[in-house]
Amino acid sequence: MSFEWSILMALAGAAIARPAATYLGSRTGWVMALVPFLIFLSLFQHLGTVAGGETVIAHLSWVPSLGVDLAFRLDGFSLLFALLITGIGTLVTLYAGAYFADKPHWEIGRFLALILLFMTAMLGTVLSDDLIVMFVFWELTSLTSFMLIGFDAHKAEARKSAIQSLLVTGGGGLVLFAGILIIGMELGTFSFTEVLARSDELVASPWIGVVVVLIMIGAFTKSAQFPFHFWLPNAMAAPTPASAYLHSATMVKLGVFLLARFDAVFAEVPAFGATLVVIGSTTMMIAALQALRAEGFKAVLAQSTVASLGILVMLIGLQGEVAAVATVGFILSHALYKAALFFCAGTAIHATGEASLRKLGGLARFLPVTAVAAVLASLSMAGLPPFVGFISKEYLFEAQLTNDWNIVPVAVAVAVNAVMVGVAGVVSIRPFYFKSHRVTSVKHGETPGLLAGPLLLASGGILIGLFPNAIGQSLIGPAASALYGSPIDVSFQLWHGLTPMLVLSFAVVAIGTAIVIYWDAIHTYLRQQDGLYRLLGDRGYHRVLDGVLGAARGSTRLLQNGDQRRYTSVVIATVVIGLAIALVAGPAAISIASPEGALRISLVLVLLLTAAGALATVKARSLIAGLVCVGIVGFALAVIFMLNGAPDLALTQIAVETLLVILLTAVLLRLPARQKHSRTTSERRRDALLATCFGGVIFIAVASMSAIPIDLRLSDYFGETSYLDAYGRNVVNVILVDYRAIDTLGEIAVVAFATIAAWALLRGSAARPGPKE
Amino acid sequence: MSLVYALAIAVQMGCGVYLLLSRHVVRIVLGVVLLSAATNLLIFVAGGLVFTAPPVIVQGTQTLGAEAANPLPQALILTAIVIGFALVAFAAALVLKTYRAVGSVLTSGHTDAEALGSPFDAEATRNA
Repeated sequence: MSFEWSILMALAGAAIARPAATYLGSRTGWVMALVPFLIFLSLFQHLGTVAGGETVIAHLSWVPSLGVDLAFRLDGFSLLFALLITGIGTLVTLYAGAYFADKPHWEIGRFLALILLFMTAMLGTVLSDDLIVMFVFWELTSLTSFMLIGFDAHKAEARKSAIQSLLVTGGGGLVLFAGILIIGMELGTFSFTEVLARSDELVASPWIGVVVVLIMIGAFTKSAQFPFHFWLPNAMAAPTPASAYLHSATMVKLGVFLLARFDAVFAEVPAFGATLVVIGSTTMMIAALQALRAEGFKAVLAQSTVASLGILVMLIGLQGEVAAVATVGFILSHALYKAALFFCAGTAIHATGEASLRKLGGLARFLPVTAVAAVLASLSMAGLPPFVGFISKEYLFEAQLTNDWNIVPVAVAVAVNAVMVGVAGVVSIRPFYFKSHRVTSVKHGETPGLLAGPLLLASGGILIGLFPNAIGQSLIGPAASALYGSPIDVSFQLWHGLTPMLVLSFAVVAIGTAIVIYWDAIHTYLRQQDGLYRLLGDRGYHRVLDGVLGAARGSTRLLQNGDQRRYTSVVIATVVIGLAIALVAGPAAISIASPEGALRISLVLVLLLTAAGALATVKARSLIAGLVCVGIVGFALAVIFMLNGAPDLALTQIAVETLLVILLTAVLLRLPARQKHSRTTSERRRDALLATCFGGVIFIAVASMSAIPIDLRLSDYFGETSYLDAYGRNVVNVILVDYRAIDTLGEIAVVAFATIAAWALLRGSAARPGPKE
Repeated sequence: MSLVYALAIAVQMGCGVYLLLSRHVVRIVLGVVLLSAATNLLIFVAGGLVFTAPPVIVQGTQTLGAEAANPLPQALILTAIVIGFALVAFAAALVLKTYRAVGSVLTSGHTDAEALGSPFDAEATRNA
């Protein structure tokens, strides 16, 4: 089976999860886990092909007009991710089935449907070759993780965290999209393979700086790098199986995945690697501090995840083969131990109903196998031999030492890794073996579904550590080669001999042990440092969010205050400003001095009459008087039409004006006659000013317009063809019924609709009771 | 001459806008009438008012004479007059209906839409 079908399989799994849960009940987890497992197996078959250094490309035309294809790419790096996604996805599905055992079956179905949908999105992201397709899947992961984090939608905390993660990762996705579009504009292609091949063109383009920044922001938001590091710990509001999946193996590593993918493209951009090292190190330090400060079992793990992501970002910033191997090795070992630890944390929290590390203790009596798994996983996390974590940490130090960076990143890495050792010790020993008096009973024991995940992952960590070469040749080597851009001969070894890296490892373990011993003191001290926390927390995010909401409220209150007059004022003012700008900046010159043409006294008098009538309408206090004045304007207009060779217009105007006066009089008779001012004096003054501005702008515009020669081509065409083509001598009538017949039909339709609407409004209303007041 | 036209149009439009800003619905309707009349005049002027003979092809000839007025703006205005009338007629019906339903001819009295409040408080309002 071709590999791209795995995405469709995952989607099908998501579709059937909910109905399946109704039939399968408590066995849902075991059965549905077959979906990711089968995908895992089918992807596993490609291991041999990809290990040979081959890149498999699958192609389906999707939107050829936009140059967007459903193109998929399988190389060592994407295969590693795909295997992690489906492998851990299998265990998450299993675990979730057991975790939700006490919940209604449909809820298991809903959760598994989301998990499998999320898996679809993840697979799509890592397997896409087309950048647009990748972006679509990328945003789909943001959306599905939003649903997963907010799964317990009745909890305000869950909803808040879900929105936070969506705003940060979804917004970052849009930034990434801008970067992708610029790449497409510059190179004329969205195919990653082609972008990779033509990376020197991209680097030479003037847009390269913008592209790098946009893509980095996209990656940093997803992978919770400083200054977007705050959302990931809050996302712990998700049910634990989702946390294990989202925060260990998969989603948060997408940013790392993206950076690693583009590392080969941006290799020549000078500041790219340095920025990654600086941002990664900063994130590591902040997360390490927060991990020591955190109270909740999951919160500590989440902070350590942020630190691990910082390590990965830093590793991508480093150059060379060793850095590539270290990146891949760390992705693998971190996924294994962190997912296992999350599973263990989930079981402990679920069984006790207690999330704080300080209130847990002695759980090994009740959850013995979970405790063992937790210890095994945390030994890998601590980087002790013979676990895979040890090997990846050795590579991390080697990558740092072989790069010509100064000592600061190394010191940061040592400190952060020491904190990791501390966290590993704290989360495995304290809740399970310490203070046995704290927990005296649990709600439920261990079930096979709860154990399969942590045990398999934890023992995977030790097996790979003991036999590193098998996985080194088949998985890590090809992945690192794909990352590095040329084949690497990987010797993924447990024992490297007495090296500087080993010395650093010893230092890490020594400091880490001290942290485990003095954890209480450090923790208490850090919890007192409120200022530090405010600086590192998500206060900035809340400020921005509150600011946006406040601005929205303020502008709504300002613009939509319920007063019709204000709405009209805004519209009129906008028209005035727009017209004024157009007059000043437009191509035509402003000229109000164009007195050519003799004054026709009769016409001048009638025009002045219209102006006087309009002014009188404003002045008239009685509505009937106002109506009469409007009538004067209308009839004067008819005379103007008459004097300028438009008898048809004059006739129509007189007819319509007569009707209008009759109609409005009929309406006025039914309204109260008295009329006070509806506006205060200052309001009237302001309105008069606005009206004067409007009139002034119109005056200048009309006067300037008269100076521009008229384009008479259309009129001439009508004049020449009216009789010959349409056999009509009255050109105006011919235009209306022949050339613009559809317009005239529309006009008649408007009159008809107005009539129907007026009839609908007024029908039967005379029988109704009068006004309420 | 064009300055006189511009002045007349500007005064009509200014007065129309002033009435449009009123809170009295009938005065708003009157403002609409003034504005549409002024707009028709504006279109008329825009067509150029050089010749004053009606745009009719004289018997015996086959094309419009050079002395005839521009037919195009006339056709446009003819449509506009009728549509303007339909608009005002409908507005007048609306004024009457609103007055009967709400009992006020001032827009400040037409607050039913605002009185609904925020959609998010709907539950509370209904229970209150």
